[in-house]
Amino acid sequence: MTRGARVAEWVVLYALSVAVALAISSVIVEATGGDWWPVLEALVDGSIKASGRWGETLGVAAPLLLVALGTVISAKAGLINIGQEGQLLMGAAFAVFFSFRIGGPGPLNVVLLLLFGALGGAVWASAAGLLRYWRGVPEVLSTLLLVFVAIQAVGYGLKWQWLLLADEASRGNRNLVSEQLAKNNRIPRPDIFGNEFPITVYVALALALAVAYVLARTVWGFRLRMLGHNPRAAQRSGVSSTVYGATALAIGGAFAGLAGAAMFAGGGFSFGNYRLVPGFSDNIGWTGLLVALMARERALPAVVAAFVFAMLRTGAGFVNSTGVESRITDVVQGLLVLALLVPPAVVFLRDRRRARAAATERV
Amino acid sequence: MTGAGGPDPSAPAVELTGITKRFGGIVACDQVDLTLHRGRVHGILGENGAGKSTLMKVLIGLVLPDAGSIRIDGQPCTIHDPLAAAALGIAMVHQHFSLVDQLSVWENVALGEEGRLKSAGVRDRVAAISQQYGLDIDPDARVGELTAGLRQRVEIIKCLRRNPHILVFDEPTSVLTPEESEQLFSTLREVVAAEGRAVVLVSHKLDEVLHATDEITIMRQGRVVDHLPTREAVARSLARAMVGREVSLRSERAAFGLAEIEDPDQEPSGNGENRQLAETTPSDEPVLRIEGVTVKGRGGARLLDDISLDLRAGEIVGVAGVEGNGQRTLGDLLSSLVPLDAGRVVVNDKEVPTGSPGAMARAGVAVIPEDRHDSGVVLDMTVVENLLMVDPHRVARHGVLDKARATETAQQMIEEFDIGCSGPDAPLWSLSGGNQQRVVLARELAAEPDVLVAAQPTRGLDVGAIEYMTDRLRQTAIDGVAVLLISSELEEILELADRIVVMSRGRIVGELSQADANLETLGLMMGGSTE
Repeated sequence: MTRGARVAEWVVLYALSVAVALAISSVIVEATGGDWWPVLEALVDGSIKASGRWGETLGVAAPLLLVALGTVISAKAGLINIGQEGQLLMGAAFAVFFSFRIGGPGPLNVVLLLLFGALGGAVWASAAGLLRYWRGVPEVLSTLLLVFVAIQAVGYGLKWQWLLLADEASRGNRNLVSEQLAKNNRIPRPDIFGNEFPITVYVALALALAVAYVLARTVWGFRLRMLGHNPRAAQRSGVSSTVYGATALAIGGAFAGLAGAAMFAGGGFSFGNYRLVPGFSDNIGWTGLLVALMARERALPAVVAAFVFAMLRTGAGFVNSTGVESRITDVVQGLLVLALLVPPAVVFLRDRRRARAAATERV
Repeated sequence: MTGAGGPDPSAPAVELTGITKRFGGIVACDQVDLTLHRGRVHGILGENGAGKSTLMKVLIGLVLPDAGSIRIDGQPCTIHDPLAAAALGIAMVHQHFSLVDQLSVWENVALGEEGRLKSAGVRDRVAAISQQYGLDIDPDARVGELTAGLRQRVEIIKCLRRNPHILVFDEPTSVLTPEESEQLFSTLREVVAAEGRAVVLVSHKLDEVLHATDEITIMRQGRVVDHLPTREAVARSLARAMVGREVSLRSERAAFGLAEIEDPDQEPSGNGENRQLAETTPSDEPVLRIEGVTVKGRGGARLLDDISLDLRAGEIVGVAGVEGNGQRTLGDLLSSLVPLDAGRVVVNDKEVPTGSPGAMARAGVAVIPEDRHDSGVVLDMTVVENLLMVDPHRVARHGVLDKARATETAQQMIEEFDIGCSGPDAPLWSLSGGNQQRVVLARELAAEPDVLVAAQPTRGLDVGAIEYMTDRLRQTAIDGVAVLLISSELEEILELADRIVVMSRGRIVGELSQADANLETLGLMMGGSTE
């Protein structure tokens, strides 16, 4: 198939599946007594059209992209890391601890805070790596279960002032909340055409390019992919599944942790307003996993996928104000997510079938 | 010659007329006619890619032809899918088994049946069939634990249970030992003679087609090039028709397994000369020393049991044995895939930490693995990537791959080893088995190894590819590499090896020099006879 035909095929597949999702959504909204058109308008307004909204969407897309990039790396090693939600939360917690208990003011501090976030995510993912390569616990289980441990651990941290909890003066009558990050410690949010977004958006984009490059063009990326495709061939060729696998998991976690730190230090009103609170991760980890899935575990398509998922999220905020019941709008959102994941699944299944047919054909 | 019963006994069981099938620009079958009669074994001979498999897929409904007609028992019909084929009484024993390892024999046989499953009934049926055709098997054995030969029996029983009129065997002996093949052919005779079924034997081995069929159709490049009764067939002309050119006597023997047809005492001319050459680089110091090596499997079974073996530069040592007697583990051991439980492996006077990733490759041991899809290639990667798998640093600077250099290196290897592919960036799965094997060979030899382990290197390859592989192995030894040839094809070992060891139950049970070895003594040793 030529490149043009491939692109055309994607466009048609997405147009079809989104159209079907919208059609079903309209029927559901109308059937439950709502008005469909305002819902659709709100979706577009909230995500890009209304003033300042595409900046907001970019701000959401950045952590989604970071999480997805980490997922891509561990997936290339043949590992199924589904604990990004917890790794992200841990990253945020590490960043918070560093900001208020160790670091000082200034731009250097912002960089260190982000690095600490990455460290937090890496540590959390490495716990799963350790279990996998030392004891043979499947990472798909351990990463998932560690999400719930992370939630509890961060909740615990938020109860103690020497860990994450803010002092009484700054928390007022609130419980389970960290101090608010000082203004000079925040990630800059320059204003572009009336849209504000943290400069971590650029960082995320640069990292997407870097990940694509490393995977495709370096010896390390090459060997990592080899491990993912055929562990025995990799072992024979000198790729240690323990070293490469554990590293890939740690890097995957680091990306999620970085996303958490970036949300904390650059998120504005979307993410906790520079404070760590329970539920801070707000499904960004899970959604990032879906982004990677939509991008079929490739770095550059993840850029587009992250923006699309961010649009759904920011758009949904506006939909809630249309008066249509929130359960119904949740269904609409779910249908759209499904519509985004159907084309990659269709293409994956078809390609695999073709490859198998070709393989048996040539016996 | 016609069987009893059937709607129209005078009509042939199957008549394929003008079957044509294209895949993209490639014509897999071009106006092929084929007639199968009841009570006869019909051999279809051809190299890989000659269109044999496609033709059979048309017959069993896996492939729809672009043109042509099918008549079964004189009735025109179309076969849209395998279920329709089954309804017409057509069954196929596939080259690659479609069995579920975790299930027992009778469960596998019952798989795909509809309605309620009565285990006692199926078991009895399995027992009855296995008795009737001499396919001895335990219905309760787990399929995953059976040898290739026994698995094939399960596959055959599965087919026979549906009582087919037309039975297709696709390269049935590619996974069998000589004795198992012999047994298979006697079953085949039984099926044909006693019950008037039509049998198709698809093969690229001249020997077995001459031995086991009543008539032969030869295909080349999608066309039927000849059709004749077996009693009028001569090995040499068959080979010429199949390959389309003269094949050298030497590789002909290896490719077609003609040792039994020609005089086994007559040594191939090339070999003596080569050994002489090898002796011009004498070396008493072994390059590879395997010392008292024991490897235990899960549950403590000894997969390798106190094995000792020396390999010198320039010699080819053959490891003969019935499959499943530790050869696979030996190959894995030398591929750094399994750790040792006792003993040591020494390459060039240095002990190698077996089981540590890439240790063997670094020590200078190259491997053509028994199952290239298992550890030899990465199907989802490109030809370049597969060629550079073991040593990507060769084309990298500071850990970054130099794409131009990689492509150039790959292009050279593709030309040198004549690898048929659409280019260096073609995905490996798009290559034929023979060309995939060449990719493995090219890569392993490019590493300039001291030791080359070739495990079943010609399995499933066609004549041309076997000829090529055999020559390469011999040349490699002449170039001073110590070659370990692990094979269950005795003719291959007899032709290539300077020295032969026989493995049985994970042990080395005997060693012979080439001069002392012949099919008979080897067969006896493989069977565990300690004469």
